Amino acid sequence: MKKVDKETADRYFRERTRNMIIYLIVWFAVSYGVVLLAEPLSHITFNGFPFHYFMGAQGAVVTFIVLLFINAGVSDAVDKKFGIDESRNEMISTGKTIDH
Amino acid sequence: MDTQFLVSLSVILATFAIYIGVAIYNKARATSDFYVAGRGVPPVFNGMAIGADWMSAASFIGMAGTIMLLGYDGLAYIMGWTGGYLLLTFLLAPQLRKYGRYTVPEFIGDRYDSHLARVIAAVCTIIISFTYSIGQLSGSGVVIGRLFEIDAKLGTMIGVVLIAFYAAFGGMKGITWTQVAQYIILITAYLIPVIFMSLQLTGNPMPWISYGELVGKMGELDRELGISEYFAPFTNGTKWQFLALMFTLMAGTAGLPHVIVRFYTVSTMKAARWSGAWALLFIGLLYLSAPAYAAFSRFILMTNVAGSKITELPAWTKSWVDTGKLQLADTNGDGILQWNELIISNDIVVMATPEIANLGVFVIGLVAAGAMAAALSTAGGLMIAISSSFAHDIYYRVWKPNATEKTRLKVARWSIVTATLLAGLIALNPPGAITQIVAWAFALATGTFFPALVLGVWWKRSNSKGVIAGLLVGLLVTLSYIFAAKYGGFTILGIIDTGAGVFGAAAAIITNILVSLDTEEPPQNIQEEVVDLRYPEQMVYKDGEVWMNDDDKKALH
Repeated sequence: MKKVDKETADRYFRERTRNMIIYLIVWFAVSYGVVLLAEPLSHITFNGFPFHYFMGAQGAVVTFIVLLFINAGVSDAVDKKFGIDESRNEMISTGKTIDH
Repeated sequence: MDTQFLVSLSVILATFAIYIGVAIYNKARATSDFYVAGRGVPPVFNGMAIGADWMSAASFIGMAGTIMLLGYDGLAYIMGWTGGYLLLTFLLAPQLRKYGRYTVPEFIGDRYDSHLARVIAAVCTIIISFTYSIGQLSGSGVVIGRLFEIDAKLGTMIGVVLIAFYAAFGGMKGITWTQVAQYIILITAYLIPVIFMSLQLTGNPMPWISYGELVGKMGELDRELGISEYFAPFTNGTKWQFLALMFTLMAGTAGLPHVIVRFYTVSTMKAARWSGAWALLFIGLLYLSAPAYAAFSRFILMTNVAGSKITELPAWTKSWVDTGKLQLADTNGDGILQWNELIISNDIVVMATPEIANLGVFVIGLVAAGAMAAALSTAGGLMIAISSSFAHDIYYRVWKPNATEKTRLKVARWSIVTATLLAGLIALNPPGAITQIVAWAFALATGTFFPALVLGVWWKRSNSKGVIAGLLVGLLVTLSYIFAAKYGGFTILGIIDTGAGVFGAAAAIITNILVSLDTEEPPQNIQEEVVDLRYPEQMVYKDGEVWMNDDDKKALH
């Protein structure tokens, strides 16, 4: 058991939270943002679709999937940067479960 | 029809044999097997299981048709039911996994240290899951009934017996691996017809790329007919209703207990993040294809059916007219069927596609098996959620804390059987349209669990009085808005009952914050547990300091 600098621990949390906020802004823009601007965007055509329809039917969903994979990958990289060892996580996690 | 019946029956029986075999092979032996599948499910497979759990009979049978009828406004379902996975995977799933409990009410009860909150949450779980499962059971009844040409009620009963059997027997472990098999069957059954339809209409085997053209063409056809264009926004409700519905579906997704509990079955926070990503990829395959289905079917109906002589309609229309799902009436008596003389039920699109595209008996049987898989897998997950809320949260944690493991497993199994039979009885005469009941379940989850969980994970100051008040106010506001909008004609900004969750969630969050601030802070150890959720398993927050656990021994506690 080793003490972690308060600053290091805060940096970990800040970095993860900042990334998450960026993903959520993109999430909001491609779904709610496009719906709010649906009328003006309908004049643009993309791959045969009016753009607002394309975003609703495909663009937003694909963006969501990509964001989740980026989140999983980047979070792993952040964990690694801070010296987190996944196999130890697994061990602790098994122990920590309250199996009642 | 005899060949069709035999082929469909064999396909369905073959898939059932697979599910039951998988359930027996993975029989639950311990409590942790029963509730959380021993916590060792790999993320890719857990993603498939989440997908099957998530995609219900309504998604499989009804969604493409809903989009066809609503046009752009139907896309609120597509974005809502996928976008919710971001809220879930960012804000809740890994943190709840680190907290390490069996159920959602257990998290609420332990995090807020209150048996009252636990019981309220357990009751909410039972209400939400039970409502949702009624839709699944009657959906499976419709499929079995249509297929075997028996009464839908008899079909429902067959479905009930099947679900009760394998959910009670296998528990979460059996269900997880059964759901993996069900996902594979349902996605194959969904994609084959739409790919063939794309080939026939556009010569391109990739429906996701090819249907854009048709959407544009249909806009022209609509203009000629003088009706609003297929892709025109907000023709069936206001922009605010679209946004409110989309939010309700997203937050409800993040708050549905039977989905959250899926993330308890993996090993770590990292595995929970990857599960979320894989799950949305697998779910996205179906959700990206549904609008393609809708566009192809509408195009065929507009060009091949509408405009033909009423005596020379394609052969497949007849069997659907007989079921009442398709109504054709030459109201102006000119011998030609106009587009506005067609009335189409939204159930028809996916089920009729193999016939429209002439894909043969095997594919028709496969689609029926896929619809069954969708209904059964969701119902199985819901039954586990109901049984764990009762057997674990109410019976064991509150009522009989000294119960042995054997008794608890027995209570869990019997509560599944009871809940399935009860839901089956109600499903014989469903109290409303299936999509509507499902939308209410989402509104309730948005108004109750979403605020309680998000504040519980992210705000250490939130306390037991805050969460109890928040849960009750959220429930009350959501229910009142549903009833006021549905029966009283009361709406704000044109938001109808299906968008009620947005008001419930807002009210619950405000109540939780105000009441928490007005009452005493939660005890120190609980606040520390909440801060601890910011970090991965290996980092531990204790006495205001963060510790890195790199000992060779297990953990401190």
